[in-house]
Amino acid sequence: MNKRQINGLFVLAALLAAGVIARLLIGRDPAIGSVNFSWPESNILVLRFGAVRSAIVGGACLGLSGLLLQALLRNPLASPFILGLSAGAGLAAMIAAWSASMVAAGAVGWIAFIAHGADGVIPGTVGSLAVLILVYALGRRGGRLDPLTLVLTGTVVATICGALTLLVQSLMPPSSRGDSWMWFMGQVPELPSSGAMWTAAVLLFCSFIASFRSGSALDAASIGDDEAESLGVSLRRLRILLFLCAGALASASVALCGPIAFVGFIAPHLSRLLLGSRHRALVPASVISGAAILIWADAVRQSIDVGAGRLPIGVLTALIGGPVFLMVMRSRQMRTGAWTC
Amino acid sequence: MLNIETLSFQYGRRRALTEITASSAAGNVVALVGRNGSGKSTLLRAIAGLTHPNAGNITWRGQRLERLAPLKRALEVAYVSQRPSLSIDLTVHELIALGRFASRSRLDSNLRIGQAIALMGLEALKDRSFHELSAGEQQRCVIARALAQHEENGLLALDEPFSNLDPGETMRVFDALKLCARAGALVVVAMHDLALVDRVAQTVWWLEQGRMVATGSPPDVLTPTKLQEIFHCEFDRGPQGLTLATRVSSITT
Repeated sequence: MNKRQINGLFVLAALLAAGVIARLLIGRDPAIGSVNFSWPESNILVLRFGAVRSAIVGGACLGLSGLLLQALLRNPLASPFILGLSAGAGLAAMIAAWSASMVAAGAVGWIAFIAHGADGVIPGTVGSLAVLILVYALGRRGGRLDPLTLVLTGTVVATICGALTLLVQSLMPPSSRGDSWMWFMGQVPELPSSGAMWTAAVLLFCSFIASFRSGSALDAASIGDDEAESLGVSLRRLRILLFLCAGALASASVALCGPIAFVGFIAPHLSRLLLGSRHRALVPASVISGAAILIWADAVRQSIDVGAGRLPIGVLTALIGGPVFLMVMRSRQMRTGAWTC
Repeated sequence: MLNIETLSFQYGRRRALTEITASSAAGNVVALVGRNGSGKSTLLRAIAGLTHPNAGNITWRGQRLERLAPLKRALEVAYVSQRPSLSIDLTVHELIALGRFASRSRLDSNLRIGQAIALMGLEALKDRSFHELSAGEQQRCVIARALAQHEENGLLALDEPFSNLDPGETMRVFDALKLCARAGALVVVAMHDLALVDRVAQTVWWLEQGRMVATGSPPDVLTPTKLQEIFHCEFDRGPQGLTLATRVSSITT
């Protein structure tokens, strides 16, 4: 790694560490609703540590998933949320949860039990990969992947998945609808499910290793299919492995935090801004920056009262990520078509 | 030795190459010529082992390149496509260094990258972003990447590498390719500038509608009569080699 990359990693790590401290210190007095900065009592500290763990793992999954999608699709606008992977994972996880509630009612048998495996991560992965394949197939125009067509296709598929998720949600028992609604809005849980947390952590670790080892191949893949193959990259193997990782990471983040917009989009761009474009450095950087962005978003939202409680985290990330998305979309490289492949 | 035997290839139902047969020994510059859409790029991709032919085969030193593992193939053949692209922001040096992806020796890689940069005259540009360069400079970068990749007695397949170059840079690239050929490489170049072909290539392969219509040395293949037949242009062959004379109007009234 060169000096710029090492410095960039230090900056991101410092940002993450500061975010962890901020999230542990920022609190709200439930009686008067004011924000305070102090070391909490042990029972509150446990909850805040839970939120820190959720934000780190969920944000890291989103950051790495976004980076892999942007690299493999050669599209700077790609992210698990924008391409509909999060929505697909959410729909599949919601169907699994609904099936599980049917199991409890004795209506559906062992199939639903399997479908609800690892707290929704397994069906979520299937859902996100199904959406990825669909968007990839529909997003091609004249045999080429056009970045904007891909994004439009992803948006439409995400909207359809969102509508179907609401439909399935309405079929669930009234007692579970409140929880699923909060999840659907995106959240950083203070008491994360241990199944989802462990599954996400293991998937993150495995995907990190696979992505880091593929860093040079991802650089080479950026010059076009034929030339990458001629350099010695096995594109088919690379894509299968890393698309699987991207889909599983998107699903893991959705199972843990629900669909959260734009973290997977901003994290790779922030990393590129600080470290340059080499993927060996971008892989750890996107993991750290994804975690840092989500933890800071969660810390900031603690201090914003919208009258009916704290600001939902998905709203905050969308308000920040939306303008950044528009800036990238109007950037010089997009206008000149340098990203079309 | 590159051997092409009754090679056929089709995209879906459209036949792109029909029973191509040709061969060339290492140490040569082979120019692949023909009109637009005649199959030059398809043949070049097949030579580089990037497509599986529908019939026939191509062997390089007795090996079928399309059957080799990508890393092993990269040590045998370097390829430059017609439209260089780069979807991330790399410097010239970083891009050229990608040519050593398949190499295991770091020391050797640094040497080869330095040589390729020097051959293409890119020393002053090596820390600049690829996207900031002119089309001609970008073209030299991707050629330098292929030069850094290819082994001394390997195969270089280049698809219209001179399309954006000024005359001085064209000659620089041709000198570099001739140097590679003298060092034992086989250089196959798809190109349109027939005057340049005449001056530099030892062998010409002429494709028309996916068929190999002529092979041989430039004076044997590129005769003024034949060129006028195909391109509707008059060519003269004098002491300076082949030159374009006047254009014959192809518009009939």
